[in-house]
Formats: sequence, structure tokens, C-alpha cells
Amino acid sequence: MNDTQKMLEDSVTRLFSDLITREALTRIEETTWDVPLWQAITDLGLPQVLISEAREGMGGSWVDAFLVARACGRHAVPAPVPEQMLAGFLCDQASLLLPAGIAGVLPAPVPVAALKGDNASFSAARVPWGRHADFFVGLTEAGHLVMLSNTGVTVREEANLAREPRDHLTFEATPLIGHAAGGLPADSVRWLGALLRSAQISGAAAACLELSVKYTSERVQFGRALSQFQAIQHHLAEIAGEMASVDTMAMVACRAFDARGINGTDRNARFDIAVAKCRASEAVEPITRLSHQVHGAIGFTYEYDLQFLTRRLWSWRAEFGAQGEWGKYLGGVAMDQGGDQLWPYMTA
Amino acid sequence: MNIDTLRFPHFESPPEVDALRQEVRAFLAEELTTVKPVMRSNTWDGVDPAFSRKLGARGWLGMTLPKTYGGHERSMLERYVVVEETLAAGAPVGYHWIADRQSGPMVVRLGTEAQKHKIVPAIARGEACFAIGMSEPDSGSDLASVKSRAEKVPEGWRLNGTKLWTTGAHRANYMIALFRTDSSPDAKHRGLSQFLIDMNEVSGITPRPIRDLTGRRHFNEVSFVDALLPADALLGKEGDGWKQVTAELAYERSGPERYLSCFVLLTELVKILKGGNANAEILAKLGKEIAWATSLRNMSLSVAGMLSAGQDPSLQASVVKDLGCHFEQRLPGLAQELVELEPTLAGTGVDYQQVLGNLMQLAPSFSLRGGTLEILRGIIARGLGVR
Ligand SMILES: Cc1cc2nc3c(=O)[nH]c(=O)nc-3n(C[C@H](O)[C@H](O)[C@H](O)COP(=O)(O)OP(=O)(O)OC[C@H]3O[C@@H](n4cnc5c(N)ncnc54)[C@H](O)[C@@H]3O)c2cc1C
Repeated sequence: MNDTQKMLEDSVTRLFSDLITREALTRIEETTWDVPLWQAITDLGLPQVLISEAREGMGGSWVDAFLVARACGRHAVPAPVPEQMLAGFLCDQASLLLPAGIAGVLPAPVPVAALKGDNASFSAARVPWGRHADFFVGLTEAGHLVMLSNTGVTVREEANLAREPRDHLTFEATPLIGHAAGGLPADSVRWLGALLRSAQISGAAAACLELSVKYTSERVQFGRALSQFQAIQHHLAEIAGEMASVDTMAMVACRAFDARGINGTDRNARFDIAVAKCRASEAVEPITRLSHQVHGAIGFTYEYDLQFLTRRLWSWRAEFGAQGEWGKYLGGVAMDQGGDQLWPYMTA
Repeated sequence: MNIDTLRFPHFESPPEVDALRQEVRAFLAEELTTVKPVMRSNTWDGVDPAFSRKLGARGWLGMTLPKTYGGHERSMLERYVVVEETLAAGAPVGYHWIADRQSGPMVVRLGTEAQKHKIVPAIARGEACFAIGMSEPDSGSDLASVKSRAEKVPEGWRLNGTKLWTTGAHRANYMIALFRTDSSPDAKHRGLSQFLIDMNEVSGITPRPIRDLTGRRHFNEVSFVDALLPADALLGKEGDGWKQVTAELAYERSGPERYLSCFVLLTELVKILKGGNANAEILAKLGKEIAWATSLRNMSLSVAGMLSAGQDPSLQASVVKDLGCHFEQRLPGLAQELVELEPTLAGTGVDYQQVLGNLMQLAPSFSLRGGTLEILRGIIARGLGVR
């Protein structure tokens, strides 16, 4: 991490530490949107992280995006910061400016048949914060970037376990406000979404570990702090190991994406991203189970912070593919490469 | 706790490292063409002095040690590349393994000039085989409780006692061993000292090989009966043994071996699955372990980078070892679940079966040697600030 990255992480952490209190999380979970929070996020320029300087963005790398997304996970930020960064990146790659306002990112490729002249008709499932979007960004099956207005959109409100909006949208002759060929493959949103969720999982896992260490150091039973008991220490060590594995791979995958992208069939960043999300999703089980275990009943209450993290972890595990899907991809890579080429491929 | 102390920083690997990797790979491809997979699955227990000498001749042993003593003054990262490539290929590194990993740096740091000039060049040539004399019948995890005694006598030191589980002591030229030089009850830790023992020069030392569960003679019981050592056999300072042995264990725990001793099984598993028709469920299970291997590899690389940068990676190294031994111990069971073939002894069955049979039997040792899983988790917990 270089100095500017440290500064970015520090300023994001400071912002979230100030604004994301238990009270705020409880309130925003009901309202699903907080105007001052989003204002502060945009004031800090976070939607611009992945937009090039030529288009008045921050010109950041995916390592920068990783730091922001990880901080979002760590603080359970109830706002679509990773999605907004991704929307900026998708537009930038298609040489378009990201309009002002809240972007909704379409998780699945838009069918080419949905586009009719200057409008589009189709439906999209589980769109993060879809109900709040001022416009939508997605890639078509042909890999073109499309930008849609939010008129002619019917919203069926849904949410993930953390009550983050994941809405079902029906677009009915919705005006196309932007359309351009870009340099990204059509399935990019799924891969980059998986990458961002891996970073968020890393952050939330770190927060689970911090809470668990703190709580077990303070809670006394049998005349000793719980953390003095070896069984508890081993639980903490296991959470730490899982978290470190997830964190390392999410960072490595972001670096790999910066260096090699996901175009073409050569050894590119797809392998690293698949490893990152497979590990992140798999790690959710031990991390959430053990964090709850060491907290006892208090961790099972709504009043205690842990659940803001663990409910997110359970949802993020599945979003953009759980460990089964990414594991299947990796197993497939191994079959293509064969035993003797596995190590060279891993280390390339 | 500060979460940043648990992170695995990224280090850019310089271009000379990639060139070296290709060179090592080409060398191994040629050297190991006739070595059967089951032999490769012995990795750091596989012993072949001729192979060790060839690595030495290439300049790939004692890589980070000073040139004055026959080393090569290469970076920790370059050494790491040689180590991970040899392990991933399943090269027989057992003869030089301990010397290259921990004894060489120990002798350079603590030995006399005469010892350094004599021993370190032999290590770099791949001719020195070292043993680690730490464990005893009554001292395993509680290493500081060792009872074997070294007494100061006019000729130097007189050693009595028993070391146990000493890998390779029956063939080693040297042993670095931990002995008690002060038996007063309040001197548990400061009563310990390390000795550099020339196994060919000293009488009164008898290694008795112990058959391990595979039937092989790998480790030993070593008895010391009035073994007389010259005064300069004291390694480092009298009473500094505990501090020194802790530093030695840091070398022992920081390498990639803890997740790479099973890599040959992963390779063979992929081969056998590729030959059949693996369904989606099998691919997913295989893929999860590939994800583990890749994340461990990146973590391990980071530890090497931290060592190269002069940082202390002991917490990160313990994490890698803890996760790594779970990974390795899971693999034989998973393989059994994915492929309907029995594990076999060397010489019967297909390669995959023999590798599985070998590693299934070796796997229990992975979470014991070099400090048990339970002890490592204690170290991690301390790193989290809870002890
Ligand atoms: C293949 C192999 C090669 C080896 N090579 C060498 C060598 O070259 N040189 C050498 O000196 N030693 C060697 N060892 C020995 C190794 O270092 C010891 O086995 C190890 O330190 C554990 O000691 P122990 O076997 O006496 O088990 P014990 O210490 O008796 O432990 C038995 C079990 O109890 C657990 N336990 C012990 N104390 C605690 C505690 N405080 N809290 C919780 N659990 C605890 C342990 O984790 C373990 O699970 C080797 C071992 C093996 C298997």
C-alpha cells in the first residue's frame, strides 16, 4: 500500500467511523436510504475512484477500489458504494461520463433483443438499491455499455438478509440514455461484482474478528476473561486465519485485474478473481459461526453490532456467485490445464 | 488488537526472480523425469545426496548466506522461489533441507569463524546434512523443559541425555541441539544453551532409528552418554539457548513447505479426474482446494517478501502454517471422496493411488512437526493480543 492509498483508506475509515453508528444502521435498515450519508460519500469522491482523470475521476486502481470496498464491509456501510464505483468503471471503459446521481448496476447482461431503437424492455433480478437509482448501467450480451433512465421502471421491492435493497425491476420501453461499445467482456459485471464482494467480505470478516477479540477480552466467566481460555483462543485464531486468507486473495485479485484484466483466454485475472470469491464465500461459514459462538447470546441480539456484519456476510456469500460456482470454474481450469500445468498456471 | 498486524502485504517480485524461476523449472523438469510420483510425494523427506549436490553446484543452496563463507548473497525471495519450485515438483530435498533452511543461517549468525569457514561452504555445496536436536522423551510442546544436560569440563562440554524424533540423525553430519546448562529450578528458560555437534567427530552419541508408521526409518532416538564436545561447540552464548531456539523455529515455520508437501497429490488428483468424467459437484470441491492452495501460496509469498524486507513475519508465518496443515490434512480425505480408488503402497496400483497411500499416512505428521497446531494457534492468539 502506498502513501496515497493509506490516505484514501484513512479518510474513508474516518468518514464511516463517524457516520455509521449502531443507531444509524438501525435507522437506515428501515428507510434503506440516508441522504446525508450519501452526500458525504459523494463529497469524498468515492463514486469517482475508478473513473480516469481524463473524465474528471480519481484515476484510481482496483487496489484503491479494494480499500474502499473493504472499508465499506468493515463498517457495514448501508449504501451502494461498491456498486457506484463499478458503475463509474463501466462507463469509463466505454468512454462515457458517469451522470450525476445514484447509479443502479444491472447484475446480469442485458439481452440484445431487449433493445429497440432508443429504448429497452426487459426485467432484471436482484438489482442492488434498484429502487433508489436515478439511472441504470449495465452491459449487454454483446458487451456494449447501456445506460437507462429510471422512467418506465416497475420496482418489486426485495432485499437481502441485511435488508439491503435487492430489487426486481421491470423495464418497459425505458429510454436509453447512453449506448457505447466498450472494452470489457459481456460477463464483466459478474466478475467485478464478485471481486468487490470479496473485498467487502474481507472487511466484514475483519470487523467480526475485532468484535470477537474485544468482547472475549472483556467478558469474564469462571473468574477469567473468556480470551484466557484456550478453546476461545483457538476460535479466534481460526477466524483470523480465514480472514487473512480472504483478505490476501481479494487484494491479489484486484492487483491481477489492474495488471491483466479479464479479456481473452490467456492466463488473466479471472483465475485470481475466482479464487478470491471462492475463498471469501467459503470463509463466511467459519467466520460467522465462530464469531457468534464466542459472543454467546448477546451476539444473537439485534442490539449488538455483530449481526449487522454477519447478515451481510451470509448475503454477500451468495451474491455474484457462492463458492460452488467459483469452485466449479476453478475445477474446470484445472481440467483444462491438467495436473502438470496446474502449478505453472497458479503461479503465472 | 490492530487488524493491520495480521495483513499480508504485497511485494512486487523483481524480474530476476521470474528468470530464476524458469531456470529452476527447466532444471527440475530434466532432473526429475524418471522420478515416480510416489517418490515425489515424499518431498522434504525424500533424500538424495547427489541431487542436493547438483542444486548446490547451481548456486541454489545457502543462497542468502554471505559470500565470504561460500554463500551467494541472493535475496530471501530468490531463495523462496527455489524452495517452492523444488517442493511443488516433489524434488528430493531431504538431505540438505534442514541445513539450508535453518542451520546455515544459525551457524552464520552464531558460529565461530572457523566453524563458518568449514561448515557453511559445505551447506552451500549440498554436502552437509543437519539434524535438529530439540524434542526429548519428556519434552515436546513444552520444549523449555528439556532435561538433557551439558556440563562444563576442562576439555569443553560433556553431554548426557536423550533426544527424540530427531529427523535424519542417523545420516546427519551435524546436529544443532538444545541442552540444559543450568539445572537450578528457577532457570527453566535461561538454563538452556545450544550446541553445534559434529556427529562424525564425537563419540558417545548413538542414533537409533525409529520406524515411523509407514515403516520407514526417518527419525531417531539419539542417546548421549558422556559425549565430549570441544569448548567451541557451544553455539552462541551460554544461557541464550531459548532465545536462539525461538529464532531458529521462526526459520522453520516461515517457509512454503507447510502447504506444499501435499502438492503432488493435488497434481495427481487433477490428472486422474481429467482422465475420467468429473461432474460439476466434483469440480467445485476440487476448485475450492485449488482456491486454498492459491491463497496459501500468495500468503506464503508475502511472508518471504516480509523476510526480504527485514520485517518480522512470525504471526503471518504461523497463520500460513496453521491453514496450510489443515489444507494438507484435508486433501487425502477429499481425494478419497472424489475418486473411487483405494490408497495403495508404493509399487502397486496406479500413480495416483500410491501418492494417495503415501500422503494419507504422512498427513498426521504435518500438524505436529515444527510445533503442533495447538501451539501455533496459541502463537496466533498472542499475535491478536489475547494472551
Ligand atoms: C515426522 C516428525 C519429525 C520430527 N522431527 C523432529 C526433529 O527433527 N527434531 C525435533 O527436535 N523434533 C522433531 N519432531 C518432534 C516434534 O517437534 C514434536 O512432535 C512436537 O513438538 C510435539 O511434541 P510431542 O510429540 O511430544 O507431543 P506433546 O507435546 O506431548 O503433545 C501431544 C498433543 O497435546 C497437545 N498439547 C501439548 N501441550 C498443549 C497445550 N499447552 N495446550 C494444548 N494442547 C497441548 C499437542 O498440541 C498435541 O496435540 C518431529 C515430529 C514428527 C512427527
